[in-house]
Amino acid sequence: MIELSHLTKVYNDTAVVNDVNMEIEAGTITVIVGTSGSGKSTLLRMVNRLVEPTEGRVFLEGSDVSTMPPHELRRSIGYAIQNHGLFPHWTVARNIATVPMLLGWDRRKVDARVEELMELFQLDHGQFANRYPHELSGGQQQRVGVARAMAAKPALLLMDEPFGALDPIIRSKAQTDLKAIQRRTGTTILLVTHDMGEAVHLGDRIAVMDGGLLKQYAPAADILARPADAFVDDLIGSADRPFRYLTLGKVRAAVEPGDAEGAPLAADASLYEGLGELLWSGRDAAPVIDAAGAPVGRISLQGIAGRAARPK
Amino acid sequence: MTTLADAGTGRAATSRIDRFGVVIAIFLIGALALPFATLRATRIASGTGLRLFEALPVTVTATVLVVLAAAIGVALSSRRPAVRLALGALALAALALAAGAAGAHLMPDDNPYARIAPASGFWVALFGASMLVTDASVRLKLGPAGRIVALAVTAALIAGLFASGAWSHLSIVAEYRNRADVFWREAINHVILAAGSLAAAIAIGLPLGILAYEVRAVRDPLINVLNIVQTIPSMALFGILIAPLGWIAMNVPGAHAIGIRGIGMAPAFLALFLYSLLPMVANTVVGLNGVSRAVVDAARGMGLTGRQRLFQVEMPLALPVLLTGIRIALVQNIGLATVAALIGGGGFGVFLFQGLGQTATDLILLGALPPVALAFAAAVVLDAVIEISGRGKA
Repeated sequence: MIELSHLTKVYNDTAVVNDVNMEIEAGTITVIVGTSGSGKSTLLRMVNRLVEPTEGRVFLEGSDVSTMPPHELRRSIGYAIQNHGLFPHWTVARNIATVPMLLGWDRRKVDARVEELMELFQLDHGQFANRYPHELSGGQQQRVGVARAMAAKPALLLMDEPFGALDPIIRSKAQTDLKAIQRRTGTTILLVTHDMGEAVHLGDRIAVMDGGLLKQYAPAADILARPADAFVDDLIGSADRPFRYLTLGKVRAAVEPGDAEGAPLAADASLYEGLGELLWSGRDAAPVIDAAGAPVGRISLQGIAGRAARPK
Repeated sequence: MTTLADAGTGRAATSRIDRFGVVIAIFLIGALALPFATLRATRIASGTGLRLFEALPVTVTATVLVVLAAAIGVALSSRRPAVRLALGALALAALALAAGAAGAHLMPDDNPYARIAPASGFWVALFGASMLVTDASVRLKLGPAGRIVALAVTAALIAGLFASGAWSHLSIVAEYRNRADVFWREAINHVILAAGSLAAAIAIGLPLGILAYEVRAVRDPLINVLNIVQTIPSMALFGILIAPLGWIAMNVPGAHAIGIRGIGMAPAFLALFLYSLLPMVANTVVGLNGVSRAVVDAARGMGLTGRQRLFQVEMPLALPVLLTGIRIALVQNIGLATVAALIGGGGFGVFLFQGLGQTATDLILLGALPPVALAFAAAVVLDAVIEISGRGKA
């Protein structure tokens, strides 16, 4: 759906992005991860032409973005950034309505869309629609920022460190919510972060960048199991690797027949959560129930451990 | 322990003397030692200073003394801003009425050319009472609308005092009566000079400021040139402009017909315009630069065109700083326009310089007080507007 072809950006004789080739599948979350100065933000900003490439092309649904007027291109792509960038002199509702208004939607359609989005992002319309951004908490501002980016139902959403300004607890919830919303809307998301944990949590595929080069571009599990080089390995962190790997799997996948004592675990929980629960409660195994509450078997420390080992 | 400490602070609080009140009290008491009014045989003769009890009937003197004593008492001891404001206002009113009463009381029946003017004691007391009022207003934390209302009420009261004839025996009013027509003509000239040149500076300075913001290469040279203009003394700038404008008037067809001359309104207008450009351009650049990078980035990323970004996002957010530039330029212009009279530009300066020439103090005051009042009113109104425009943008 998106194709980056030989994308290069040179500033003062330095290639900030160096000959990057990527194909991004529609309806997935792709996370670009790297340290600061790796060129990840520049890469993202070339997609909606906030930065013009020195060389190479970006194709959206097969058409070259450089042939479209920049402002029209940007209205068709969602854009959310760190520190949200909400317009401080506009209300929450007016902020969310930014792109629909630019596109000239009629008033009623805009209002309906704003209400729909505020509900989707758990912001009470009656309470928040007419507030100004500075009257909201950090987490609420961030949600308004993402709602605004999705207002005109873009097929593609670009996010530049969207959770960077949030504290850890709110960040984790915001990530989970974003993933749920993405699954529901099918929006293609291209997200930039420096946090490998966030990348593994959110990304269907992860692109690792360093010094302007695309080091590895693969599904999250592959990145963890087979890092392409020492840099990618470092970014994952050797101590964290098995635990990151466990966040990718569900308890359901490790269920074995039988029963166990104590509080049950949800089949939908991640193996990471399952391991934590077993360790903390001092059990070797726990019963597993499905979403309806029906028992489906048990999960054991042994079973989880087997899935934390490097795949052969 | 706790009770002792509490009792200690409690006693200290009730007996504490307001420090600013001490300053006010020194002014008000000191004023009584100075002459309250001056009596002169003619408008340019030197006068005799008369103290409060010499200048006023006994009953009026007593009333003024009682009011001032109450004001001093409140200034020293009361912590309630509303009470302080009330007594300060009462003292101002008493002084204003007493000045008028002194005029009526001292005016000799046999000499219509005699002049009575408020003297140093009056001005010092007025300053003291004004400090009390200003201080109380600040402590009251009046909102912008409240301040404008307070200004309007004050203006109405002063206008009322004029209209009532309470001040008709005072020399400055006599000077005004002798040249009422000219006064209002020059008042209009003054406003045209100050506000008109500002309007021109907004019309030119705003686009220049936007250009300087958008094009980095323009910014520093432009600001530097305007900074240099700003450092030229006003008299020198008026002088510098006489030659080129005179040449234009002589040689450019039609220039003379639209009022361009080497002396008169044109060079004064142009000089004030040049002085106002710096605050306008500089504040436009600073205001636009102050808009958060994230907000500008979001606006671009959302697909606002350059023009939409400027008018819907950057300019509204820069508005308080732009208005501050307008406030600085307007207050500065109202003052500088006084000097325009020296090159025939008109304005209140006409009276000021005539007065200086004739050593007629009252005429000097007639030229000096209105611009001061005008500048003060402009500052209060624009400050209120700036505060209102900045709301909700934290």
